[in-house]
Amino acid sequence: MTSETPGESPGGSFGSFLLQADRTLTPFENLANFVAGAAVLGLMLLGVMQIVLRSVFNSPIVGYIDLVELSMAVLAFLGAAYCQRLGGHIRMELLLAHLRGRTLWIVESIGTIAALGIIAVIVWFGWDHFLRAYELGDTTIDAEFPVWPSKLLVPIAFAIWWGRLFIQLLGSLRLVLDPDAEHIGVVVPKDAAELAQEEIRETFGENQDDGR
Amino acid sequence: MILGIGFDDPFLVGLLGVGLLLLLVLVGIRIVFAASIVGLLGLVELLGWAPAAGIVGTIPHSKSSTYALSVLPLFILIGFLAFHAGMTQQLFDAARKWIGWVPGGLAVATVFATAGFAAVSGASTATAAVFARVAIPDMLKHGYNPAMAAGVVAAGGTLASLIPPSAILVIYAIIVEESVGALLLAGFLPGLVSALIYAAIIILWATVQKDVGPPVTGFTHMDRLKALPGTFPIFAVVIIIITAIYGGWATPTEAGALGAAVVLAMALRRGMKARTVRDALMETAKLTAMIFAMIWGVLIFVRFLGFSGLPEAFTVWILSLDMHPMVIMITILLAYAVLGMFMDAIGMLLLTLPVVYPAVIALGFDSIWFGIIVVKMAEVCLITPPIGLNCFVVNGVRPDIPLGKVFRGILLFFIADVITIGVLIAFPEIITFLPSLLL
Repeated sequence: MTSETPGESPGGSFGSFLLQADRTLTPFENLANFVAGAAVLGLMLLGVMQIVLRSVFNSPIVGYIDLVELSMAVLAFLGAAYCQRLGGHIRMELLLAHLRGRTLWIVESIGTIAALGIIAVIVWFGWDHFLRAYELGDTTIDAEFPVWPSKLLVPIAFAIWWGRLFIQLLGSLRLVLDPDAEHIGVVVPKDAAELAQEEIRETFGENQDDGR
Repeated sequence: MILGIGFDDPFLVGLLGVGLLLLLVLVGIRIVFAASIVGLLGLVELLGWAPAAGIVGTIPHSKSSTYALSVLPLFILIGFLAFHAGMTQQLFDAARKWIGWVPGGLAVATVFATAGFAAVSGASTATAAVFARVAIPDMLKHGYNPAMAAGVVAAGGTLASLIPPSAILVIYAIIVEESVGALLLAGFLPGLVSALIYAAIIILWATVQKDVGPPVTGFTHMDRLKALPGTFPIFAVVIIIITAIYGGWATPTEAGALGAAVVLAMALRRGMKARTVRDALMETAKLTAMIFAMIWGVLIFVRFLGFSGLPEAFTVWILSLDMHPMVIMITILLAYAVLGMFMDAIGMLLLTLPVVYPAVIALGFDSIWFGIIVVKMAEVCLITPPIGLNCFVVNGVRPDIPLGKVFRGILLFFIADVITIGVLIAFPEIITFLPSLLL
């Protein structure tokens, strides 16, 4: 979870800068994730329509499979940064949950730097991938929909993700310098019991962290 | 080469890659990053920077944009909506009225209600959390032993991974390039067998120790019939998915879409608010992003493994072992049991299958059979110490039942699971029968 205490500026000026950055990025992550969620609903409606049109009216939606395949980019990538902010991407927390203080934040910083590297590569070369499709006017085989809008989502979604990781890196580095400072823009590793609490919150819809 | 570590032997690079991946995962790097970073480094070493980065920039989009994967978000959505539709309470209510009269009846009812709920939710921990709230209070009220009440809920949750729609089986199918429909069908009977063995163990326990789970009687046939309509959406989802795959009138994605629509309609009819629908969509999107990230991350690693030739080498090595294939299989399963104690099931499958799967197939095992066995194995680990996430979930919902008691309650169900795995190994037809009808 992003820790957040509205009102004051905890942890000095760097802390308040971080808080500001966190608050600036959050609405974009929420929006992107919401678009992905809405797309799931769209996928559901499309599927039902396809069944009805095909079996009742014998006229299936032209390019249905192409449409679904192109829309997968929306579903697969737009929630990535939101998921990152909430610590949703799976990792083994067995070791991390035992680390405390400066050691923990050093390990976190190193891991986040590595993550920033790989995501940057994907943003960069995902952009190339999009550009090729755009310049060649690449289309799907069946219905001949243009492919580039779908491919453009990779650099966009991964850039937001990179931004979130960067905030988390700054947050971790700040805690390396001052392990007692308030947690801003970082995800604290959880042990099994805490993980279970999170699962419970998610199940019962009491996780209102996104409700801003 | 580019990285300048100067290893010309792709096999050696592959081996180092696997070692590095294990190290990164162990120190707590998120699986998507660990897998894709090692994949990138390995590809750079074997192919050079430009081709490697090109591959890495392409895989996320190309591997995610497949029709087969589109079923995942829909199954996940069904799961998040199902809880809000109030189905758990209704299911448990129907089950207790129908089977409450047997020894340990409420616990048996919990098993079948969790199995039923599993049909709309692919998530084990969520199922355990929900039933800890619905079933445990009722069992305690009727004088059930708290250890049994907690154990049955934690164990019942694991049924979600086998009974369709199961997200983890879809992921297995994608990774090993099997038919999604075949895997989904294959999980049905083993899920049922698991439930029946759980029920048998409970009845045995409650018969031997009269006070752990007294029968609950006093329901009329009318009560029983009246409890049935509430379970309709569950049966609808199961029937839609199974007949669609079996009868071919819809693809798994379309069946998932229809199932989600049925559950959503039911949830709205029961007064689900727009805000709750939005929350369910946000959760669905988040979980979808997480699962897809792991899939493309691991597929970047798999591409590197392919160039290194490591999977083939592992297969050759396994085949050169002068051991009975079943001995090797049991060794592999035990390794999974140990791994599963420390690792998330989906992550574990994604990381290991690229190397293990070709060897298993070369040994002559059926790919669908192996998928079900491995997933069952991974689920058993959800109830074993030291992690046993389901037990923590039950304890989290019911802090009055100490963790030690939950783990004690789980012991018999663990034995039940070992029996189930034995049965599935001895009678592979339980797994292969339904999918074989597809051909």
